[in-house]
Amino acid sequence: MISCRGSKDLMIEALYGELGPAEREEFDAHLRSCPDCAAEYSVLGATLRVMDERRRPDPGPAFWDGYWNRLAAKMGAEAAPATGRLPLAFRLRRAFEVLPRWPYQAAAGAALIVVGILIGRAVFGPGGRTPRLAGVTTARAATAVSDDPALRARRYVDRSQVLLLGLVNYDPKTQDVAGFDLAGKKAASRELAAEAADIRTSLKDPRQKRYRELVSELEVILMQIANLDAGNDLDGVELVKQGVTDKGIFLKIDLSRMGWSGPALPGPGPRTGPGASAAGGHAKDKI
Amino acid sequence: MDEARLIDGLARGDLAAFREFVETYKKKVYFLALDMVGNSADAEDVSQEVFLKVHRSFGTFKKDAKLSSWLYRVAYNACIDYMRRRALAPEPVADDVLDSPGRSEALLASSAAPADPGRAVEAAQLQARIAHALDRVSPQEKAVFLLRHYDELMLKEIAECLQLSVGSVKSYLFRAVRKLQKELGAPGAAGVEVPHD
Repeated sequence: MISCRGSKDLMIEALYGELGPAEREEFDAHLRSCPDCAAEYSVLGATLRVMDERRRPDPGPAFWDGYWNRLAAKMGAEAAPATGRLPLAFRLRRAFEVLPRWPYQAAAGAALIVVGILIGRAVFGPGGRTPRLAGVTTARAATAVSDDPALRARRYVDRSQVLLLGLVNYDPKTQDVAGFDLAGKKAASRELAAEAADIRTSLKDPRQKRYRELVSELEVILMQIANLDAGNDLDGVELVKQGVTDKGIFLKIDLSRMGWSGPALPGPGPRTGPGASAAGGHAKDKI
Repeated sequence: MDEARLIDGLARGDLAAFREFVETYKKKVYFLALDMVGNSADAEDVSQEVFLKVHRSFGTFKKDAKLSSWLYRVAYNACIDYMRRRALAPEPVADDVLDSPGRSEALLASSAAPADPGRAVEAAQLQARIAHALDRVSPQEKAVFLLRHYDELMLKEIAECLQLSVGSVKSYLFRAVRKLQKELGAPGAAGVEVPHD
């Protein structure tokens, strides 16, 4: 027969079922004769059953689907050309990194002007006026000239919010599916999601931890949108809308503005979530 | 792909093998990091740092070792490094306002919440108590507990992963379970319902 000390030595293995048959028999025999050890075994077993109830929040399929791509981007960024074993994509990425940046910046500036004109037409044309988009357009145009991480993060959040508003406010019963332009939203989401890792990395200040988390949550949702089926995947859109609501994304965005420590954006800041349009029906925002 | 071929591919720097490796272990590494560092954004960064380290330094892997044990060791060390860096960094103070949904609410929102709001609140409170109890356990005890309880590694495997003796692993685990029991209170008391089999 084992002693109480011997019983304690075997307690962990017994709790996790790692005892051999002979040891188990000895252990059980001791518990039958020792109420203290039996009580301890029972209480610790109950504790483990409580710990079985623990749930870990899963970031969802879009997060897992994009995991490799985000990792590959980091690998590409840190890969050295001397290894000689880099995949073509990484070598191309590296080559682009060492080329002068000004031609790309000029091209990006031109593209932003064109996008600004197109958005201006969409917003101020016959489809309806939405003044808050004007601020976003300004924010987009300004993106190219600022490297401030906080400002970039804020603009990222603004752009994501506008995109999400366009999606959340869409009602297939009252709005033409052709005008919804899911393909455009998917492309914009993909583009935004691709920026997320860089923005998160740039937010190094510990006080910006919450913004990093917000950017991370937005990235997951944007990737869900980017991965919607080709065509008009309205079921998928509904799932994304539900996710945005369940996670309180618009509330978090609003709260992020209340605690924002970065420089002010030029022009009026876009505001709030679907509640803004609830009183007057669905907003006609388009991206 | 079996482990021997995977190891061979990794040793040759084969990107397809590395991707296979990442796809196989990404969830285990991410969730270990999440449990250790406590938030999803940092957990992703830490988990990706683990894979980058594997990619950079696979040469240090001994072929007679078990791949998953080696990976857990790299992951554990990365988590500890991260926690040390975080301990050196000043505590965030300016953006408490964004701390809106507390951990319990976040868990409530993310898990399959019961339809009954009363039960949902109880479930969220239980999750919060469990999280709080785990926070009271030292990092090493926590790592041992997580690996045994959730990743279901045997004591010997944990000893191999963390380069400890089996006796030390048992000791850490025993202390962890006792601390959890103290933090959670007597089973059945004050909000801690013990599920019955």
